[in-house]
Amino acid sequence: MIEVKNLVRTFKSGDRTIKPVNDVSFELEQGTLASIVGKSGSGKSTLLSLLGALDKPTSGDVVVNGVSLASMPDGKLTNYRRRDIGFVFQQFNLIPNLSAVDNVMLPMEFAGVRKAARAERARQLLEQVQLDPDKHGRRINRLSGGEQQRVAIARALANEPKLILADEPTGNLDEQTGEHIIELLSTLSRDHNTTILVVTHDRALANKTDRRFRLQQGRLTEETARTRATAALTG
Amino acid sequence: MSVLARSVGNAFRNKVRTAAVVAVLAVAIGLALAMLVANQAVTGKVAELNASVGTVLTVNPAGGQGFEGGGEPLTSAQAATAAAVPNVSSVVGTKALRLRNAADMAAEAASGRTGQGGPGGQSATSVTTSLTAAVDAGTLGNRNQASTGASGSSTAGTTGSTAQAAPAFSLPITATGIGAEMDSTGKALQLTQGTGLGNYTAASTGALLGTTLATKNGLSVGSTFTIGDKTFTVQGLFDAGTAFGNNALYVTLPTAQTLAALPDELSTMIVTVNSMENVDAAKTALQTALGSDKADVTQGQRNLETAVSSLDSVKNISFIAFVAALGTAGLIILLIMVMLVRERRREIGVLKAIGAPNRTIGLQFVLEALVLVAMGSVVGAAVASLASGGIASALISSSSSTSAAATGQRGGAGGFPGGGFPGGAGGPLGGASQLLTSVTASASPGVIAAGIAAVFGVAIIGALVPALLTARIRPIEVLRGE
Repeated sequence: MIEVKNLVRTFKSGDRTIKPVNDVSFELEQGTLASIVGKSGSGKSTLLSLLGALDKPTSGDVVVNGVSLASMPDGKLTNYRRRDIGFVFQQFNLIPNLSAVDNVMLPMEFAGVRKAARAERARQLLEQVQLDPDKHGRRINRLSGGEQQRVAIARALANEPKLILADEPTGNLDEQTGEHIIELLSTLSRDHNTTILVVTHDRALANKTDRRFRLQQGRLTEETARTRATAALTG
Repeated sequence: MSVLARSVGNAFRNKVRTAAVVAVLAVAIGLALAMLVANQAVTGKVAELNASVGTVLTVNPAGGQGFEGGGEPLTSAQAATAAAVPNVSSVVGTKALRLRNAADMAAEAASGRTGQGGPGGQSATSVTTSLTAAVDAGTLGNRNQASTGASGSSTAGTTGSTAQAAPAFSLPITATGIGAEMDSTGKALQLTQGTGLGNYTAASTGALLGTTLATKNGLSVGSTFTIGDKTFTVQGLFDAGTAFGNNALYVTLPTAQTLAALPDELSTMIVTVNSMENVDAAKTALQTALGSDKADVTQGQRNLETAVSSLDSVKNISFIAFVAALGTAGLIILLIMVMLVRERRREIGVLKAIGAPNRTIGLQFVLEALVLVAMGSVVGAAVASLASGGIASALISSSSSTSAAATGQRGGAGGFPGGGFPGGAGGPLGGASQLLTSVTASASPGVIAAGIAAVFGVAIIGALVPALLTARIRPIEVLRGE
């Protein structure tokens, strides 16, 4: 279960103080597929970074399964990212000189998974995201944008994280592949009890999630009825 | 893919840049290794010089030197006195004999020339031999003979006015009785054939001949010849490196004393001091112990100090250059890795975002640096093995020419008067110049391995700084572009 409590993140821009995340609080039950929609610059990616422990909040806290991220030292935050979080970045952020398989194997290597086991799982995950097996050993810079996005999703799933944070996961995919990815995320959420939070402009994708949030000027509002979640919505 | 495999892959990510980095590293590492090789070669040579001729003092009878001068001969008792002087590690006595060919002496006597042939002196005794000198008298020998050696018809050779032609003058052969396997200057004999004389403290009928003297007389190891009425067997041939030095022979000291019929008498004493730093003190103490009216103590290779000092300079220069080149290699690695870390900030951020610990990322960069250094070391070792000899020679010749200029004015002449004994130390540095040029810088695997180990050590230090910098990169800062 993820509890977000009065989360605030401010930045200085000259004399001005910007608040891309302004007193955001919500809870997500384990296994929820949720989405956040909002205009560009509304603070969606910043909120995702705070939940993924890539950034530290100015105030407030994120509590994951009863453990506060605010009080966690850097080393434990690294462990948290490695063990509990899977990121899908908007720009993929794959390692360009490594193959698709090697990219998917990376998080498992950091988690200490044996080489043979991680190679096997990486191939399974790439098949799951429907990457052509001929392209498993191909370097990232020789794959198309859509193929790279599928590799990025497979990498996010590598360590079977409890929470997947996806920033525009279908943004660079054609409609058919995008549909498949949505289906995949939904299956993961349902069958593997994985919490998935998707930031998207794609209204179709947002409509397929259990809970839909809107972020406007740093404040979060929920647009959907609470079907699976019990979290209170503030904003 | 392991960290190492990823590091190797990263090292070849940009092949052109990798080639350039390896080339620059190879120059720095090659220079460092060449300097280390030169340093080791010179260090070895300095130790060799210090352990041999650099610590040798020569004691001659006061007022006499070689075959010239006056005074009283040295005795075995004085050798014992010298051995008791502090810092003296060994004393070897010599007895010089001047050998004249029996037939030549008879011919000279028949023609009325009664001189001894060459300069006379109390410390050498003339004895006849069956050997013929390997060196022709030439203009200098005949001039010396005319001015100092002959009586009566001494001008015959130069004026040519006499009706009866004088027989050609032949130079004497130097025979030296020695108490150890060393020449009259204290240097180890360089035997080219045969063996040494065995027990040098006992009388024997063995002899060591200079190569040209043996050739002139058609002798080889096992051949015999006579000195006085005794037959000697050639036990070995030596190469002294000079025409004069090779026109000589060595017998044991007791044999020479017996031939001269002077059993307790020494021509010179070769005194070895335990270290170069103690030479001056030992020389003074020796002079005091023996008495300045009884013995002259000289440092035959005095100017060798300059040579060794010059080699020490080369040693220091090469060491400093080694450290500088090593530092340069480390700096190159540091700058390259700082550049790579800056270039790959985003990638580092991604690795951190997906859970890579700081130590794994740091290790990846250190290993990448070591891959580059390994390639640079291979090329650098090849460069060093080709260039180290030339670099060492250039350093030594440059240094020795400087010291030669500095010592040239006080350098002694060769031949009898200057060297303290026949053997010709001619040239501003005497034998030292020959020793200097004999420094051989060979890139031995041990030295190269030690050098490369040092390079790797410096490279690790150089790579650690940028590797530690990666720990300061916060993923959100580089991913904020999202």
